[in-house]
Amino acid sequence: MIEFSKVNKFYGDFHVLKDINLTINKGEVVVVIGPSGSGKSTLLRCINRLETISDGGLTVNGVSVGDKKTNINTLRRNIGMVFQHFHLYPHKTVLQNITLAPMKVLGQSQKEAEETARHYLDKVGILEKAGSYPSQLSGGQQQRVAIARGLAMKPEVMLFDEPTSALDPEMIGEVLDVMKALAREGMTMVVVTHEMGFAREVADRIVFMDEGRVLEEAVPADFYENPREERARLFLSRILNH
Amino acid sequence: MDFLKPFIEVYTPDHLKFLLQGFLVTLKVAAISIVLSFIIGAIVGTLRYAKIPVLSQILAVLVEILRNLPLLLIIFFTYFALPELGIEMEITTAAIAALTVFESAMLSEIIRSGLNSIEKGQTEAGRSSGLSYVQTLRYIVLPQALRRMVPPIVSQFISLLKDTSLAVVIALPDLLHNGQIIYAQKESYVAPVFIIVALMYFIVNYALSLAARRLELKQS
Ligand SMILES: Nc1ncnc2c1ncn2[C@@H]1O[C@H](COP(=O)(O)OP(=O)(O)OP(=O)(O)O)[C@@H](O)[C@H]1O
Ligand SMILES: [Mg+2]
Repeated sequence: MIEFSKVNKFYGDFHVLKDINLTINKGEVVVVIGPSGSGKSTLLRCINRLETISDGGLTVNGVSVGDKKTNINTLRRNIGMVFQHFHLYPHKTVLQNITLAPMKVLGQSQKEAEETARHYLDKVGILEKAGSYPSQLSGGQQQRVAIARGLAMKPEVMLFDEPTSALDPEMIGEVLDVMKALAREGMTMVVVTHEMGFAREVADRIVFMDEGRVLEEAVPADFYENPREERARLFLSRILNH
Repeated sequence: MDFLKPFIEVYTPDHLKFLLQGFLVTLKVAAISIVLSFIIGAIVGTLRYAKIPVLSQILAVLVEILRNLPLLLIIFFTYFALPELGIEMEITTAAIAALTVFESAMLSEIIRSGLNSIEKGQTEAGRSSGLSYVQTLRYIVLPQALRRMVPPIVSQFISLLKDTSLAVVIALPDLLHNGQIIYAQKESYVAPVFIIVALMYFIVNYALSLAARRLELKQS
């Protein structure tokens, strides 16, 4: 469903993605890990064209992301994104945060959009916060709202960029639980995270990146117990012993 | 109690009426310029924020030029130089035009920096949910930016109202101008006239600041 073939990306002279070949199938949960600056966020952000690729091919559901003829707004309806710092709209209530895109992009009525919003708020366990403003919520609650906001568009893929790394430790679990439930329901997910518990439990595949390259792809058990690449071994020993 | 005499002499119903007439001209010129410059400033500020090639650069140059000229010079230019180029305006129109051009440039800067002060993540969240650039601007960035911009915009309005007095140089019959006519009659009138003129400016401008503060409190 998502296919990178020989994707390269430059920021000016800086070569941030190098010859990326990667296929993500429908229903798969792929966890991307790697050192800081290795290009994980950039890889993820190319999928919904928050960043443009310099060359190579990138398709989502067979549609070329970079093609000028592709309607990017139509493509993005189908790709939910959750950010490290949530990025909820501070001037809107939780409910309005979730209904905005369904109403303006999909043309849903307010009633329909609110029903969907409540359904997903219930699912992420904070229906009672529907009328609150983001600033009245804890980090973990905000991130769950952000997930509900993404789901309300009923996307086929969800992208997560370090969804728990801005959270206090006691709130990480509640967000990961929501993500695990989503994974078990068959959502296609690409998740940048260093949460090994999450990866081991629900990931179908680990993609290890370093210096702009995909160095290793493996199932979680193999990857964590016996990484093939020296770099991956080094990286794992660092995150495990810190 | 001799110093009270000129006050009593000056504050006659006729003089007060004449001053109020001047003040109405001030308020009218200010109000029209405020509305026009807010609309133009909002459009220019947004176009510059949107970084439209060529257009944004041209606007940037114009804004920089205008912001760095004294308003007095722009007023002189509008009234005395433009007729040479075939554009003639009566005094009130010239005053409104000069103020609008200058204040549009100032306001466009406030609006542009207000838009820029909204985190990039807000735009990314909007765009990644499928909203178009314009929808993201309209529903996400602009409402947040406007809230932040209320205090600087109101203080710009206040300085606009005060700046209308600069149009005395082209003999706009505003508050200050009419005041000058009254105190020209007698030297002892100068202080009493200035005091009442100051009071009129102060009351309106202070009311504006209070309203702005109210608005700010309501939002937070
Ligand atoms: N807009 C940009 N312009 C120039 N360089 C950039 C830009 N965005 C990212 N980079 C650089 O590209 C490299 C990859 O960045 P990226 O954010 O994808 O890394 P990452 O793997 O997500 O790192 P982290 O774990 O710190 O989030 C980094 O060296 C970064 O400095
Ligand atoms: Mg990153």
